[in-house]
Amino acid sequence: MNASPIAAGSTVAKRRTPPIIGVLAVQGDFATPADAALSMWLGADGVFVGSGIFKAENPAKTAAAIVQATTHWKNAAILAEVSAGLGEAMKGIEMRTIPESERLSNRGW
Amino acid sequence: MNASPIAAGSTVAKRRTPPIIGVLAVQGDFAEHLRMLETLGAEGREVRLPADLDGVDGLILPGGESTAMRKLLDRWDLVKPIKALAKRGAPILGTCAGAILLATKIADGDEPVLSLLDVEVRRNAFGRQLESFETSLVMEGLGNDGRSRTIQAVFIRAPEIVKVGPSARAVATLEDGRIVAARQGRILGIAFHPEITGETGVHRWLVTEALAAAL
Repeated sequence: MNASPIAAGSTVAKRRTPPIIGVLAVQGDFATPADAALSMWLGADGVFVGSGIFKAENPAKTAAAIVQATTHWKNAAILAEVSAGLGEAMKGIEMRTIPESERLSNRGW
Repeated sequence: MNASPIAAGSTVAKRRTPPIIGVLAVQGDFAEHLRMLETLGAEGREVRLPADLDGVDGLILPGGESTAMRKLLDRWDLVKPIKALAKRGAPILGTCAGAILLATKIADGDEPVLSLLDVEVRRNAFGRQLESFETSLVMEGLGNDGRSRTIQAVFIRAPEIVKVGPSARAVATLEDGRIVAARQGRILGIAFHPEITGETGVHRWLVTEALAAAL
């Protein structure tokens, strides 16, 4: 939890047998097609995106773009094309502004 | 056609370059198929755009989610070039969702995608994820001289072939008689996953057919 995308990625890459259906879930700040492509570069077999889509200005367009970016993660031209005109991405929330009781590490225990 | 794995191996050795097998990589478990091809000495190539199909000797349509694959095939104009590849006589193997893409008819109203295999399939015919199972079954045309061979098969939210048309032939059934593999020339559709059990027979068949088609 709270691991950086790069740390999570290298854990995936180090496994000798990657998961058949692997999901690299990056907590927070996963909001753009570029984030999806970066996860794939880091060794993920797939990506799982929640609020990055629902809190985007254009959720449907953002979702479609993230799907295309996951398939074409190595193709810079396609990444640029699908990343254009998406509107505002989900905004991150600064940790210090989240009350202690609302943090995932404390919620539900 | 119908050559033994050893014959296939020596054919590979005789060619200056190994056969190139494309694996549709828009979604699904394409990585497992690529690993399998590597162990057999064939060159696997990820196919995401029509240009990726240039020069391939055969193609695998992997398992995954058939509706997602259909959308991505349409989005990147892959349907026509895959049909053209089949017309040139290149072998195509479709597993699970890949078999749904090959079928001429999909039960419950969905339009067919590639219409290369004269069968009707029903999606998710064996129940949900929890009902996934592994079994051994006899498949026709995989062994030496085209004989039957027993293989390990994993069914994960698998489709069923509910009807085989006059141009195709059922080549594997479960004990209860449900059809899980059908073939039409060099097009083979199977409901299960052979790529995750260490089973090499199905992929050997594809590589052998690819070499035969390329000669």
